Amino acid sequence: MNGFKIFIVDDNELYAKASQHHLSLNPDNEVESFSTGKDCINNLYTKPNMIFLDYSLPDMSGIEVLRKIKQSYSETPVVIVSGQEDVSTAVELLKEGAYDYIVKDENAHERMWKSTNNIRENFMLRDEIDKLREEVDHKYDFSNIKGNSLALKKVYKLIEKASQTNITVSITGETGTGKELVAKAIHYNNKNKQKRPLVAVNIAAIPRDLLESELFGHEKGAFTGASNRRIGKFEEAIGGTIFLDEIGEMDLNLQAKLLRVLQEKEVTRIGSNTPIKVNARVLVATHKTLAEEVKAGRFREDLYYRLLGLPIELPPLRDRGNDIVVLAKHFVDEFASENAMGKLHITAEAQKKLLNYDWPGNVRELKAVVELASVLCDDGKITDMDINFNSTNNGLSELMSTELTLKGYNIKIIQHFLDKYDRNVVDVAKKLDIGKSTIYRMVKNNELEI
Amino acid sequence: MVGQIYNLSQLEELAGGNTEFVNSMVETFLEHTPGQLEEILQAYESLDLATVGAVAHKIKPNIELFGINAIKQDIRVVEEKGKQGLKDKDLEESIKRVELHLKEAFNQLLQR
Repeated sequence: MNGFKIFIVDDNELYAKASQHHLSLNPDNEVESFSTGKDCINNLYTKPNMIFLDYSLPDMSGIEVLRKIKQSYSETPVVIVSGQEDVSTAVELLKEGAYDYIVKDENAHERMWKSTNNIRENFMLRDEIDKLREEVDHKYDFSNIKGNSLALKKVYKLIEKASQTNITVSITGETGTGKELVAKAIHYNNKNKQKRPLVAVNIAAIPRDLLESELFGHEKGAFTGASNRRIGKFEEAIGGTIFLDEIGEMDLNLQAKLLRVLQEKEVTRIGSNTPIKVNARVLVATHKTLAEEVKAGRFREDLYYRLLGLPIELPPLRDRGNDIVVLAKHFVDEFASENAMGKLHITAEAQKKLLNYDWPGNVRELKAVVELASVLCDDGKITDMDINFNSTNNGLSELMSTELTLKGYNIKIIQHFLDKYDRNVVDVAKKLDIGKSTIYRMVKNNELEI
Repeated sequence: MVGQIYNLSQLEELAGGNTEFVNSMVETFLEHTPGQLEEILQAYESLDLATVGAVAHKIKPNIELFGINAIKQDIRVVEEKGKQGLKDKDLEESIKRVELHLKEAFNQLLQR
């Protein structure tokens, strides 16, 4: 932030001088003083952050100047400073939009100092909120859901449709496919909701016993340990969106309560008798197939239909074809710029390796893999050697993803055993049930290293 | 009147240890206030009480700033009565005291 610009408008030269000096003790403040209302108004174009205005000026009354300021710069806080100790004048000025009213007594400078600090803090916070809001809007733009595959195009269309209304949306997809990102995109692209809160609750992450009060809130003393009143997530989301992630993990008892909240559009805090209207839009997500959960008796059928709304199914990464490369490049660029690394290039072999893998952890896994590769690679080139899969399944899918010839796999296997058994050819031959001479021949042909 | 009748502690506090600033404030005070006092006296002579009140209003905060506490109330009386156009004994006495104390303050500040 640049300097904080303050105008002092006072025809009492002595007083203006004292105020200017005092406020300038904070080097962040840039103080200018004017002796007439006209001077002040003519300089408003330089956009002061706040104005201290003396009530009795030689050329016009304080209220006139205040009105003029408010006409063109309604946001600029104006603090009236006056020798008048008249309550009705003060009230009138405050009604006209003055921020504060300070009487010129022995505490006046102290109050001016405090007033300045308050306004400056307020100003900085507002500035920060604007910046963050812009950042958030941009972050959850549609364009941030990357990919051109047909499977994803369908999803785009649904998100767009979903964000135009307040319909409940259920998002399904394997872990790591970006369910939360879709929820955010829906919320932040809805014109009515984007300035309102998006409250996300991960049902799986909250202990069962606490979930009810987390969602619906509780009154002080509602149960042992409820030492304070607590506002629930549903109440927090009033006017905005509530996103219930991993809804499939909710137990049946609470499902019934949730259904009631959704039907009545009101919540009652635990321990209270007064229902509170909630008009929050509901988004849910799960990696489970809810229809199957219903069949198995783990999910209430009535709640299932209530939540179904507009279903959006996110395709697993392995079904998204070339999106894998698009996403890999995006994550690499992002990582490189966050870490000031310069441009990184993914070689054709590395791309092939990425495309052949089956991505059980989906986009989340892809991001982790390429970020690691970005760290490991040399000379700005990510090769297949830098791509390492650490999937929880097994190493087989990784090995298979390299698509070697049978001979190539043989070499890989024998080399692995040689490394493991201290290059003891006899032991390895026994383990793999092959002849020692096979190994020696391969060494001679430089296919193996011992 | 004995002793120092002004008190610069408020001003010094505002200055944050900057004596140069205090000196320049004193200079400005001495430059403007005698003229303002003269304005009050002349306006009072010619029964222009509105001007008496307006000028008193203007110097009131400066009297507080310079800690001339003996006439803190008097200057208020001058302002109020002037504004109301109420010429009475109170006003006359207050103006006299303001004149006396301010002139002494000018003297003391000059010799500071």
